[in-house]
Amino acid sequence: MTQIGAKRVVYAVTGAALLAAPLFLSHYGWFILCTAMVYALVALSLNVLVGIAGQISIGHAGFWALGAYTSAIAVQSFGVPFVVAIMLGGAMAAVFGAIVALPALRVSGHYLAIATLAFAVLVQQLLFEWESVTGGRQGLPVPRPSLGAELTSDFSYYYFLLALFLAAAWVVGNLRRSLTGRSLEALKQSAVAAQCAGIARARHIIFAFALSGFLAGVSGAVYGALIGRLSTETFSLTASLSFLTMAVIGGLGLEFGALLGGAFLALAPEVLRQFKDAEMVIYGVTLVLCMRFLPHGLVSLARLWRRG
Amino acid sequence: MSVALQLIVSGLALGSIYALLALSLVIVNKSTDVVNFAQGEMAMLGSFACFALLTGANVPVAVAMLAAFPIGVVFGVLVERIAIHPLSSAPPINSLIATIGLFLVFHHLAGWIWGYDPYRFPSLFSPDPLTLGDVRISQASLGILAVSLGVMALLYLFFEYTKLGIAMRATSMNRRAAQLMGVNVSRVSLTAWGLATGISVVAGILIAPLTFLDFEMMVTVLLKAFAGAILGGFNSLPGAVVGCLVVGVVENLFGAYISTTFKDAFAFGIIVLVLMARPEGLFTRLAGTKV
Repeated sequence: MTQIGAKRVVYAVTGAALLAAPLFLSHYGWFILCTAMVYALVALSLNVLVGIAGQISIGHAGFWALGAYTSAIAVQSFGVPFVVAIMLGGAMAAVFGAIVALPALRVSGHYLAIATLAFAVLVQQLLFEWESVTGGRQGLPVPRPSLGAELTSDFSYYYFLLALFLAAAWVVGNLRRSLTGRSLEALKQSAVAAQCAGIARARHIIFAFALSGFLAGVSGAVYGALIGRLSTETFSLTASLSFLTMAVIGGLGLEFGALLGGAFLALAPEVLRQFKDAEMVIYGVTLVLCMRFLPHGLVSLARLWRRG
Repeated sequence: MSVALQLIVSGLALGSIYALLALSLVIVNKSTDVVNFAQGEMAMLGSFACFALLTGANVPVAVAMLAAFPIGVVFGVLVERIAIHPLSSAPPINSLIATIGLFLVFHHLAGWIWGYDPYRFPSLFSPDPLTLGDVRISQASLGILAVSLGVMALLYLFFEYTKLGIAMRATSMNRRAAQLMGVNVSRVSLTAWGLATGISVVAGILIAPLTFLDFEMMVTVLLKAFAGAILGGFNSLPGAVVGCLVVGVVENLFGAYISTTFKDAFAFGIIVLVLMARPEGLFTRLAGTKV
């Protein structure tokens, strides 16, 4: 079988599995599938930022929260249709993405990691204290969306999320191959060399942050509708850390890796729950071992298998 | 006025604990180019080990305190060899993720072993305040300051006058050149982790009597240490110390006079502002990179 043939088979099998999965599961299974899709969107947004643009963020829970609260408030208080609310959530996160990009223009690596972390902690604290709008510690109820047809069951909502993810993955895949994507890639390799070749660094980095923020915000918006109630505790430092780790564990090179990362983060608690207190310890050890033995993420397993 | 003075002294004490943790972060970062997100949790676990010595083996308080540094050194050396060293040739983001993994491991391991309730941790210092004129200063604050300054002085001597200390400085300036001059870079990395973790466990047992000992205690301390280190410039040891002292004092005054709710958020505000306005920190100059 040729390379391209093998690739097509993988895509076809994955596609069929994604479409058929809910048929073999019940309510709880559908909920887990939906969660995996929500996480996969965040992993995709980190793919743009870390994988393509070579930046870093351990503050994605901040964008996620902005998207979730913006869209929930738009639906609740202003009666905006669900799809528009999702876009508003994404847009709000994108604006903040562009703002967070400002320190990224001057610092990189560890400094940027800490700056994004600080951003997420600030967002969480502000949402918590701003009780009149966000409900503070009581949380904010979010209605289930209707989209012509009602999306009341997780079964139908899963297909909506799947379509959303595939659309976003298509956009990101095209971005990777576009002039902007290649410019970001060049900036990642060597900022100075790329700038000498006429690439506007500031504009591209801000764009990458805004797009990444947008995708994370969209994910937050659909997450709120899935859970039905927003609480600021969800958007903690732990969430930001989990997001970055799942993106790296899934693999940053391909959109497919985002799917694996999302599945990893959604499934790990289910599998590890039986170990009770040891749950998070095992999760942490898994992270360390993954970095040691699978530095390019789960997506590289396929490559190893083909070679081996 | 005397209230402000008391707030400043206790702020300095708090800041000096942040400074010890920040020194650990900067030492590890300078010699191995890793930002160790697990540093706070390693300090917490080390403090729990001292606590186990106190309660389990009935060791006197002073001995358990002296054991803090060696416990940390052994712990740091083990972590470096098992989890960090094997990643030295992988992309830098991988060691970052690995330290996040370690953060989760140590954080939940402590909860698993010792439960999720806070413990009272004995202090070496008497709780009675010293009275100087109309200013009352707690002995604990002065004790913490004295211990921290002592550790910093020893650290200065180590980097200035020992062969290993000089080798570490050389490595942080130019790893490759140091290696060509015969510096054992692998041993430098091992020393950095051991030294840093030893110092951070000392910070842990200094703060434990103030905050109670539990598995959550170092998370905000770590973030404050980051804030202070960035304020002073992440590459400079004295800068990090001054930055952390400023954070401790300003945080105390901010909490007392402006808002207790946003006392913690304030530190993160500092991080964002400094990184936007002067990313190299207040006290260091950014080195240019060659292409």
